[in-house]
Amino acid sequence: MSVKKHTISVLVANQFGVLARVSGMFSARGYNISSLCVGETEDPTVSRMTVTVHGDDNVLAQIIQQLNKLVDVIRVEDLTNRSFVERELVMIRVSADHKRRSEVLEIAEIFRGKIVDLDKNTMTVEVTGAHGKVKAFLEMMRSFGIIETVRTGEIAISRAANTAESRDDEA
Amino acid sequence: MVGTKAKRSQTHGTVMTGADMTLQVLADEGVDTIFGYSGGAILPTYDAIFRYNKNHSGKPIKLVVPANEQGAGFMAAGYARSTGKVGVCMVTSGPGATNTATPIRDCMADSIPVVLICGQVARAVIGTDAFQEAPVFSLMSACAKHVFLVKDPTTLAATIRTAFQIALSGRPGPVVIDIPKDVQNWEGPYDSESVLQLHGYQERVNSTRNQTMPAETAREFFKLLKRARKPLLYVGGGAIISGATKELRAFMKHFQIPAVTTLMGIGAIDTSDDLCLHMLGMHGAAYANYAVDECDFLLAVGARFDDRVAGAPRLFAANAVIAHIDIDAAEIGKVKPVNWHYVGDAATALRDLLEAGKAVELNHQPWLKEVRALKKMHHFDFNRESEVIQPQAVLEMLNAMTKGEAIIATGVGQHQMFSAQYFDFKHPRNWITSGSMGTMGFGLPAAIGAQIANPGKLVIDVDGDGSIRMNIGELETCANYKVPVKVLLLNNHGDGMVVQWQSLYYEGRFSGTDKTLHSKDFVKAAEADGFKFARRVTDYKDLKPALEAFIKFKGPAFLEVVTDKHAFVYPMVGPGLPYKDMLTGPFIEGREHKHTSELLDTSDSI
Repeated sequence: MSVKKHTISVLVANQFGVLARVSGMFSARGYNISSLCVGETEDPTVSRMTVTVHGDDNVLAQIIQQLNKLVDVIRVEDLTNRSFVERELVMIRVSADHKRRSEVLEIAEIFRGKIVDLDKNTMTVEVTGAHGKVKAFLEMMRSFGIIETVRTGEIAISRAANTAESRDDEA
Repeated sequence: MVGTKAKRSQTHGTVMTGADMTLQVLADEGVDTIFGYSGGAILPTYDAIFRYNKNHSGKPIKLVVPANEQGAGFMAAGYARSTGKVGVCMVTSGPGATNTATPIRDCMADSIPVVLICGQVARAVIGTDAFQEAPVFSLMSACAKHVFLVKDPTTLAATIRTAFQIALSGRPGPVVIDIPKDVQNWEGPYDSESVLQLHGYQERVNSTRNQTMPAETAREFFKLLKRARKPLLYVGGGAIISGATKELRAFMKHFQIPAVTTLMGIGAIDTSDDLCLHMLGMHGAAYANYAVDECDFLLAVGARFDDRVAGAPRLFAANAVIAHIDIDAAEIGKVKPVNWHYVGDAATALRDLLEAGKAVELNHQPWLKEVRALKKMHHFDFNRESEVIQPQAVLEMLNAMTKGEAIIATGVGQHQMFSAQYFDFKHPRNWITSGSMGTMGFGLPAAIGAQIANPGKLVIDVDGDGSIRMNIGELETCANYKVPVKVLLLNNHGDGMVVQWQSLYYEGRFSGTDKTLHSKDFVKAAEADGFKFARRVTDYKDLKPALEAFIKFKGPAFLEVVTDKHAFVYPMVGPGLPYKDMLTGPFIEGREHKHTSELLDTSDSI
C-alpha cells in the first residue's frame, strides 16, 4: 500500500489539554505528524486542528478511528480524497543588500508575496500558498542565503461544491 | 445515556463545599466503597467522607485504605471487574497520583471502568513546582480514557457525574478527575442534575448503543456462515464487558458452534461446556489452537487479535473467513483484515443475529466430531510422576473443590497461565486477571476489591512469589479490614515465566530471576500482618487437607505451596510464531514432535 500525504481536519472542544491529548495519541501510537495547526472556529467553544500526516490507507484508517475515540473530539474528516483548499503561510528573511533587492522583489511578486520587513542587508518576504508553492518559493530564495524561516503549517477547508474535479492544487 | 441529566434531588441548591459535593455525587451514583489513601491535597475531601459517614450512619460509604496507592487502584479495578460497576479510587496529589498510574493504565488496557479522584495543589500554585505537585493531566492523558482538571468549581459536580458516564460508555475505561485543593474548599450551591455535554463523543456512543443490526448485515453474515464447514467462535473480554454471556451461550448452543476464549474472555461461556474449547493463544489449550488452525469461519466477539493470540497475524486462522463484532471501530481490521464486521454492542448484535438466523440450518456435524476428538487427544497435562509438587496439580486439586464457582484473581506469570488453564468458570466476572498490561502485583489488591464487592463469595488470589512481593503490603490490608481473601502462593523461588523464556531463548542465563537464595519467609510475613491462617506445604501428602482447611477458613487465609521450579507452562507458541509451531512440551500430546531448537525466535518480537 502506498504511503501518501493526508490532510485531516479535526473539530475538537476548545478547552484545556485538548492539544496534548490529540498530539499524545499520535506519539503514543507511533504516528508522525508533519504539521499541526490549531485555531478557534466560528463557534468559540470549538477549535479546528488541521493535521497533515504521511501514511498508507491502513495507518490513516487507524488514526481516524483512534481520534474518534477521544472524548474531546467532535468530528474527524480526512480531506485527502475530497476537494479542498489548503494554505500555509511562510515568512522568510534572506540576505539582500541594495544590489539584490529588485531580484528578491521580482521573485516575491511572481509568488504573490509581500515584503513585510526590510533593512540595509536583509529582506523579509511573506508568501501564502499550498504546500507545493511554498516549497517552490523557498527553493528560489535559497540562492540569496536564508537567514530565518517561519512557517505556520497547513490549514485546509473543504470546498462547498465538493467534487473531485474542483480539487485545488495552487493558489 | 451519555449527556443525560441526573434527576434533581432534594440537595439541589444547598450551599456546600466542593468536597461535600464530591461525596454527594458519589452517593448519588450509588458508590458504596472508596479505595484510597489520604494526603495534603485531598484532605478536604477525606474530611467530607468522615462527615458524610457520620451523617449517614445507616448507609455509609466504606473507605478502604491500602498500603500503597497502587493497591487502591487495583482494588477499585477488582471491584469493577467482578461487578461491572464503576470502581472508585481517591488519592492525593503528586506521589499519590503517580502511584496510581500503573493501575489506571492497566484498567485502560483491559477496558475497566474506574473513576480516580486526585487531589491537586491549589489553582494559584499549579505549575510552580509546588509541594507534592505532579502534572496529573498530562501524565494521565497518556494512560486513561479521559482526564479532567477541574478549574471552575461550579462545574465540579457535573464533571464527576460525567466521569461515571464516560467510564461506562462505549468501550469502558478509567477516567481521572484532578481536583485542586481550593476547589475542594470552595463553597457554592450544589447542582444535583447537570452533566457536561460532550459533543461528538456522546452522539457516537449513544448511537452505537441504540442501534440494531440492519437486516442486510445479518443476511451477509449468514451467507458466509452457511458456507462454513468448520465454524468457530473467538470470544474476548468484550463479551463479558458487554454483558453478552446469555446471548453468546444461546448463539453457541443454537448453531452448535464451538468456542475458544481469550485470557480476558474466560468465563463468558461455561468452561465445562462441551462446546467450550477453552483459551487460545500463546499458552492456550493445544486443542483450541488446533481448532483455530483448522477452522474455515471465525467469528470474533469483543476480541482484538492481540499479539499473544495472533503472534503471526497473517497465519492466524489462515483458512478462515473472518467475522468481527466489536464496539470499538478502531479494532476492526487493526491487526487482520476481516470479511464481515459489525460495530456495536456484542449482546445486541448476537441477539439480532440469533433472531435473524432462526431459520438458518447449519450442517457441520463432522467438525463437532473433530473438535471433540481434538479436545480428548490434546488436553492439558503435566508431570504426574514427579515427587515434587507441580503447580498444575495444586490448581487441579483446588478446582475440584471450588467447582467453577469461586472468584479467582491472579498475579502475572506462570501461575497466572496455569490458573487460566486449570480452573473452571461457570460464570462471567469470576476471573480477575491483568491481561493486556500484565501487571505483576495485581492479584492481591484486585482480590481484596473483588471480595469487598462480593462479600458472600469465595475469593482466591493465586499468586507467585515474584508477583506477591510487589504489593505484599496489602496482606495487612486484608487482615485490617477482615477481608476473607484466600491467598494461595505458588512459590517456585523465581520469576518463573521469565526463567522459562531465559531457558528457551537465552541459553539458560537466568539474569535477575533466580530467587533460590532469597530469604523471605512468606508464612511469617502473613502471620506478622495478622493472618490467623498461614501455612506452608512442601509435600504432596499434606496438600489436600491444607487446601481444604484453607478454603474453609473464615477470614483471610494464606497458604504457601512450594512448587517445582522446573515446571514450565505448555503449550507455548513462541512470540511472533504461528500456531503450527506450538510447543506442547513433554506431557501434552502434540500433533507432531518439534524440537525447541528449531523454534528459537529470531525476530525482535517481545
